[in-house]
Order: sequence, then C-alpha cells, then structure tokens
Amino acid sequence: MIGFIILVTFIGIITIAFASIIQTKLSDAIILFMGVGLGTVVLFFIFKAPDVALTEAVIGAGISSLIFLMALKHLGEKA
Amino acid sequence: MSFKRDVPTSTMSGFALSAVLVLTFLNILLQNIPSKINTAGDALLQLNASQGVANAVTTVVVYFRGFDTLGEIAVLFIAALGIGLMLSKNKHCDIKAESNFMLQTASRLLFPIIMLFGIYVMVYGHLSPGGGFQGGVIVASAVLLLLISHKDFEVPHSVIVMLETFAGVSYVLIGLIGLLVLDKFLGNFLPNDISNMGLLMSGGIIPIIYIIVGIKVGSEMSIIVQNLLKRSENV
Repeated sequence: MIGFIILVTFIGIITIAFASIIQTKLSDAIILFMGVGLGTVVLFFIFKAPDVALTEAVIGAGISSLIFLMALKHLGEKA
Repeated sequence: MSFKRDVPTSTMSGFALSAVLVLTFLNILLQNIPSKINTAGDALLQLNASQGVANAVTTVVVYFRGFDTLGEIAVLFIAALGIGLMLSKNKHCDIKAESNFMLQTASRLLFPIIMLFGIYVMVYGHLSPGGGFQGGVIVASAVLLLLISHKDFEVPHSVIVMLETFAGVSYVLIGLIGLLVLDKFLGNFLPNDISNMGLLMSGGIIPIIYIIVGIKVGSEMSIIVQNLLKRSENV
C-alpha cells in the first residue's frame, strides 16, 4: 500500500515538473513548481524525515516560490 | 556531430544527466521500500542519547556539526548583505496600490497565529521536528504577510540590526565558553542529564543555540523579503 502511494507521488512529481518546464506563461510555471515542492514534502514524510519535510514545505514550496513571483512582478513585460 | 544544429550539446547533456538522476532515484526507491528503512540510524540514536536531546537531527545539526551551522548562518548573512548592497542604489519606494480589504482583515487574524507557530517550532526544536532554520523562515513569512497587506508597514531597521548582532555574537560567545570550560568549541557545558530527555529544559546548550539560530535566520529572511519587495520598483 505504502509503496503504491510512493509510486503515485513520484509519477505525479515527474508529471508536474515536466508540465512546469513546458509552460509558456512564467506565472503558471512558478505555480506548478510549488506543486513539485508539495509532492516532495509527501515523499520526505513517508521516508521518515519530518525535519526535511518541514524545511522543504517552508523554504522550497513557500518562500522561494514567493521570491520567484516577486521577481516576476518586477520584471513585468520584459519576461 | 550527428545532432541537429538547433539542439545545443549542453541541452543534450542536461537531458542525459536528468535521465541518470531519475534512474538513480528510482533504484534507491525500489531497493528501500519502507519496511527495510526502520533500522536505519540505530547507531546514530545510540550516540544521540549522550546529549539528552530527544530529536536526533537536532543533535547532529547543532552539536556534532555545530561549526557547520555557524558557517551556514554566516552564508545567509552574506546573502542578505549582497541583496541589500545590490538594491541600495534603487530609490526606496512604497507599494502604490492599496491591498484588498479581505487580505487586510485576514492578515490581522493570521499574523499572530503564524508568528506563534514559528516561535513554537523554534523553541521545541530539540523535542519535535523543526528547529531554528524552519522557525525563522516561518516568522519571516508572517512578516511577509504583513508587508504585502499593509502598504505602509515596515520592519524597523534598528531592531533587525540589534537582533542579528545579538544572535551572532552570542553564538560565538557560547562556543568560546565551551572552549574554555570543556576544551572543545561549542562544548555542552550546561547540565544535559539523560534523565531529563523529553522535557523542555533539557539538552544543555542545544535548545539555546537553536533559538539563537532562529532569531538570526528570522531577522535575515525578513530583511531580504523587505528589500526585494520595497526597493526594486524602478529597476
């Protein structure tokens, strides 16, 4: 059962990551990148690393995506 | 070269590297289905008990590799310094648009809760998952919520300077006191009896150092976010 969950999460992460790199709108790509971070959180938690999962949830899916969004806002039409 | 002109070799080698990484990760996944993982780190847990801290990761990060943690927060300080220097020539400029009424009301409700959760993660880093780095970033995200919802809110610069200086100096001072008392930089000179394991007051200097790391990370991330949000309007 838990192996099935791991496999589904892993395939989901790869699918979302691929969808993120073929996006033409940069804001959509950043939102999908947050999805990759969330899938990684699930994997870390299943593999018994709650500390790393907390770090990934806060830094990988939270602050870094927000910094990407801020940079995108300041780039404006140039991007 | 048999590849077409418009696909550069760096892209092809990037794809090859990604394929190798994916295959490696799949291999690790298939060999370590979690029924085998339960026994990992037993030797580490035996070693961990000597410091009387319930969370083994905290013992590794703060005690066995305490000098590396000092280097990591120095790296974060240099990053904050670089962003401040790079954006300092831009004119300081507030966000022009008033934020949404819903966002303002929700931020008043959510700010104390996020702040409290960040401080909880920071203080209980030696008992439960979490610690200084995670708690500091959660505190910084609470500050970010206030920054984007109230357009004239700003973290006072003097408070940030005071907190960060206090945290950096006291980390080094605790390490030097350990060097004096136990002949070991960052030695655990406070009482760290194993019978107190699991209590809030346990582990000697380890929770104190993690709270110091949390204060330093929180102030640095807050100032990074504030610089990026308020200083780069007219690039």
